Parts: sequence; structure tokens; C-alpha cells
Amino acid sequence: MSIHTLEVLVENEPGVLARVSGLFARRAYNIDTLVVGPTSNPEVSKMVIQVNLEGHSLEQVIAQLDKLISVISIEELVDGAKKPVKDTQPDYQN
Amino acid sequence: MATQHVPTANGTAMNGATSLVKSLEAANVDVMFGLPGGAILPAYDPIFDSTIRHILVRHEQGAGHAATGYAQVTGRAGVCIATSGPGATNLVTPLMDAGMDSVPLVAITGQVPSAAIGTDAFQEADIRGITMPFTKHNFLVTKAEDIPRAVAEAFHIATSGRPGPVLVDIAKDALQAQTTFNWPSKIELAGYNPKIVPDNQAIADAATLIAQSKKPVFYVGGGVIKANASKELAQLVEILGAPVVTTLMARGAFPDSHPLHLGMPGMHGSVAAVTALQKADLLITLGARFDDRVTGKLSTFAVNAKVIHADIDPAEINKNKFADVPVIGDLRETITALIPALKAALSKSQPDLTPWNNSMLKLKTSYPVGYTLPDDGSLSPQAVIERIGQISGTDTIFTSGVGQHQMWASQFISYEHPRTWLNSGGAGTMGYGLPAAMGAKVGSPDSTVWAIDGDGCFQMTNQELVTCALNNIPIKVAIINNESLGMVRQWQTLFYEGRYSNTSLESKRVPNFPMLAEAMGCVGLSCERPEDLDATIEKAMSINDQPVVVDFRVHRDAMVWPMVAAGTSNDEIMIARATAPDWDSQEL
Ligand SMILES: Cc1ncc(C[n+]2csc(CCOP(=O)(O)OP(=O)(O)O)c2C)c(N)n1
Repeated sequence: MSIHTLEVLVENEPGVLARVSGLFARRAYNIDTLVVGPTSNPEVSKMVIQVNLEGHSLEQVIAQLDKLISVISIEELVDGAKKPVKDTQPDYQN
Repeated sequence: MATQHVPTANGTAMNGATSLVKSLEAANVDVMFGLPGGAILPAYDPIFDSTIRHILVRHEQGAGHAATGYAQVTGRAGVCIATSGPGATNLVTPLMDAGMDSVPLVAITGQVPSAAIGTDAFQEADIRGITMPFTKHNFLVTKAEDIPRAVAEAFHIATSGRPGPVLVDIAKDALQAQTTFNWPSKIELAGYNPKIVPDNQAIADAATLIAQSKKPVFYVGGGVIKANASKELAQLVEILGAPVVTTLMARGAFPDSHPLHLGMPGMHGSVAAVTALQKADLLITLGARFDDRVTGKLSTFAVNAKVIHADIDPAEINKNKFADVPVIGDLRETITALIPALKAALSKSQPDLTPWNNSMLKLKTSYPVGYTLPDDGSLSPQAVIERIGQISGTDTIFTSGVGQHQMWASQFISYEHPRTWLNSGGAGTMGYGLPAAMGAKVGSPDSTVWAIDGDGCFQMTNQELVTCALNNIPIKVAIINNESLGMVRQWQTLFYEGRYSNTSLESKRVPNFPMLAEAMGCVGLSCERPEDLDATIEKAMSINDQPVVVDFRVHRDAMVWPMVAAGTSNDEIMIARATAPDWDSQEL
């Protein structure tokens, strides 16, 4: 399936939405939907991103996303359950 | 988390501008390159009293590339500083350039007062937005108390992990406001924790794979230089005894004089280096990123090779080429761990690499990078560059612009040490060479620094010669004057039937380069005849109290060979126009 849902925790700083959406645009990754909301920690926001891979690898999308300093963690939502992305590529949480 | 030295000024009341300068001092900055203007002006007042040497450039692009040259020579962060709007946008090219070549750079820019942001105020530009795509990170600071932390984080991010450029944009009112200086004692970034030490399992897997391989090649990239891992690399190569190629960004990471060094791979790489990657059964990739200028047509690149890919950036793994064994970590750590692991693996099984090595070394001797002298007896650009390398010696630092002269400088100068070859690899920025040489000379004042420049490139950033002349930065500049945008002209020769649309610069007529150099406070020399070549270079070598510019008036039609045309396979490498290597006589 080429549509994947990512739950991304980000620093709640001005410009963070532009960082994430700009990354998707410049690397030609397709966003189907993107929702941003607060978390219990006012310094952290949560983004839920549906990405339509269309030939890109999920691993590469996640690795590029994780390179953003403002991105704290990434999980994939599969059938309503969270799957830590550490499982798909060792080490890329670092 | 990184702990930081706490400076004595901590807890002192001052304005934001002073806290910026105190922060730069706390980050151990010794020199910065910049040019003031309204929005950054508050910072220039405390800069006047600072221990940090500020070098006033003539164009902010010069400041950015100079900071890059400084960083590439010293391994420390280079610092540049500019005002808002056009000052900041003049830094865009160097920031992009530094991003492409993983250079630790910190750029400080002034921004319009926070209340004016978003109003199209005088000299307002959203430099944070503009630089988001190619900076490693950037900051917009609107409160004085946030300045030290932003600066501390900027240096930490720029210099750790995969190095890169970081921009700190500071609103003018934040510079003017009163604050208490508070340099953070530690830096914790929830979303940033680069992996330094590689996994044991990955090291073990890599060692096993190497010990099984019959045709391995070390594919060495600029990461080895960033990680200061040349000594460790040399040990690893000795243990395995396999051939080595060094990319454009890695020239000097492994000595050119080493018998196993096959040279540079890629579009203008040597036949042996290109073929070694193509025919290998294993690429031991160290800090390289499978750039299209190295791989050629990706689907035909190294099709029979397994890949070990060691890099500090996880996003490089599987980006262009699948890695059978990824090894994520600092390259010095990685290679250090690989040495005993490989020794152990080789003690169990050691394939005979002799047939493979012999066929590669035969290619190296059959097809050395070479050139033919012009028929009309005029000056050969390759000979000029080769002689500068030979006369100046291997402790010299060379920078270059972008074009034919850059490729010749990478081919015909022998590099024996890391950080002696600086160029704009990923971005291909014309105009990089001269200001980068200025920064390199500031970073390494006792080294001879030569900029090998094109007549086109030189005309993009030569204003920094004034900066060099006034600040006692005696660089040497060789203009390889072929009166044209030579590399583009070469493509027109090969792919556009010799229709030379807009590539003739007429720079043997205008400008008069020696006079231009003299006008900027430098010594201007010129050389047109092969018999004067050595004497001219020696003259330039003898002048060390002033910048020297030499106009080498060379033959116009020389071309860079070998060549793998853009978009084609590395298998189609040409050693001269319409001439492929004689594959039939090679056993591969
Ligand atoms: C800023 C910039 N503009 C355009 C180019 C495209 N380009 C690549 S090489 C080249 C010619 C460079 O001419 P010159 O400096 O005379 O060097 P030569 O190739 O003749 O050695 C040009 C225009 C570039 N790389 N960078």
C-alpha cells in the first residue's frame, strides 16, 4: 500500500509546519492529509501526516523527516496501533 | 547532550548585541567574516571591542565562502555575519554550498525589529524561510534572552553529527534590549542526537562481507575528511590491501602517491577508478553518498557489487543505492572498530585479491590521467596546474572555482594530506575559489594557499582581493585564462555541434587581469609562453607579503578527459573524443 500514516511529535516553535511541509514539497513527497494539534506538553505539537509514497520509500521519507532538528519522534499508525519506526530501519531515530 | 564551558560573563547585565558577541566568544570563535548594515548594526558596536577578529569583506557572498574555506581547513565552524534583506540573501549561495558539502558554518544575520516582521519593512527578507531547504537548522530570535541559547545550539548543530550550515537570524530590537547574559551549561535537543558509535553487529557484518569479497574497492568520500579519519583509513587499507578511489570531495583523504590509489571516480574520473567501482563485487563506502556525478546512470552503476555504506547520516542509507550492510556512526569510530574486526575475519578466510588488484593496477598504468600539449606551442592549462602543484608542493592548500580548471586541479595535482583540497563539489558554485582561499589562509596562515581559478569564476568574486590586500592575507591566485566559460564550451563542442552560444568571455582582451590585481593592492603577473611557466610560478612563490594574481593565458580548446557524459553509464567512459578504452586488451 502506498498510503501510510505517520504520527510525528515536533517542537512547538514558529515555522515548524513550514519545515515539515517544505521538506515534503522539495523532495516531491505527496501529502494526502496533514493535521496539527497540541499535546499535553505545551512545548510539543503532534502532526498526523498521511503520505502517498508513489515510488518513494517510506524508510527514506521517515529518515529525511527525522533529520529535521524540530522533529522529536516518528511513529507509523498501522490499523490504529502505533508502530515505532525504529523497527523499519535500525538507528534512524538518532 | 553536550556540556559547555560556562564563561565568566554569565549573570552580567548587558544588551542583546553584547550577549551575542559574548556568546560567539564563549563558542571559541576566533575570526568571523562579515559586513554591517542597519539591522545588525547594534552587534557591530560590541564587535569593535571583542577579541574576535572581524574581517570586513566586500560582498557577503565572499564572507560566506571565506567562512567555508576556514571551516574546511581547520575543521572548526566558520562564522559569517550580515545585515537583513540583501545582506542576508547574499549569504544564500554560500549557505546552500555549505549544505551540499557538509561544511560546519554559522551565519548570523540581523533582522528588522520584531514588530515590523511581516510588514514588508525596509530590508526585510524572510531569510529563515529562504534558507530552510538547505540549512541543517535555522533560528529566528526575537527576544534578547534567547540569543545565547540559539548561538550555543547553532554551533552544536553545525559541528556535530553530519556537519552543516546553521543560520541565526536576530531581530534588531532583540539586539538592543537589555538582558542578563546566560550561556547555557548544557545543550539538550529532544529531536537531535546523532549516532556516533556504530553498532557492533554492523561492524561484524561489514567485516564478514569484506573477508568474503574477491573484488573489493574502498569508495572514499568527503566524510572521511570531516571525521579526521585519514590515519585510520590508511591502516584499514593496509590490512585488506584493496584498491582505493577518492571522490572529488575526498581528494587528500588518502595519499595519491599510494600504489593502491586509483584516483578519482565520476564524470571526470580516471579509467581505473571508474572501472573499479563498475566491476567490483563489494563497495566499501566510507562517507560518500552515491552522487549522480559519481554513479553515472544509476541503474547501470556497480551492478554486481554488494554495498557496505558507512555514514553518519542515516538518511543517506538506501537513498540512491541499496546498502547490504549499513553502518551508521562517526567514520573515525567506524573505521577504528572495523580494523580489529577485519583482522579477525581475515584470519579465518582471506580471498586472494591479487588478480583483481593486478587488473586494476594495469588499468591505472594503461590509462593514467594525462593530456596532450597544444599543437601550436601555446600554454597548456593542464601543464600550468600540474607545475603549480609540483613547484608549490604537497603542504600547499589548493582551492578552485568550478569548471575545467577545477577538474584539472583535482586530476593533475597530487594530494597527500587531508584538508589541502577545497572545492565546491555538491553545489558547483562558480566564484567559490577565491574567497575560500582567503578563509583558508586565515585558518592556516603558515600554509601557502593557491586558488586555481577560471577566468569566468574569478570575475564573480574577485572583489575579495581588496579584503586580502588590506588584511594581510597573502593568497596566490592562478587564473587559468582560456577566454571562455570553458566547461560549458566543452559541452557545446561535444553535444551542441560547436555552437558556442554565450560562452566566449574575451578575457584575454578585457579585463586586464594583472592591472585589475594591481588596482586591488595585489601583485599582478602574466604568463603566456610555456618557457616562462616555471619562472612565473617561482616569482609568485617568492612573494609572501602581498596577494599575487597570475594571468595564465592558456590554449582555449583543451578539454577535460576522461568523461562520462551526463546521464550515460560509467561503462561508456571516454578517454578522448569518441575514444573508449581498449577493453579487449584488459582482463576484468
Ligand atoms: C554560479 C554558477 N553559474 C553558472 C554555472 C555553470 N558553469 C559551470 S562551469 C562554467 C564555466 C566556468 O568558466 P571558467 O571559470 O572560465 O572555468 P573553465 O571551465 O573555463 O576552466 C559555468 C558557467 C555554475 N557552475 N555556477
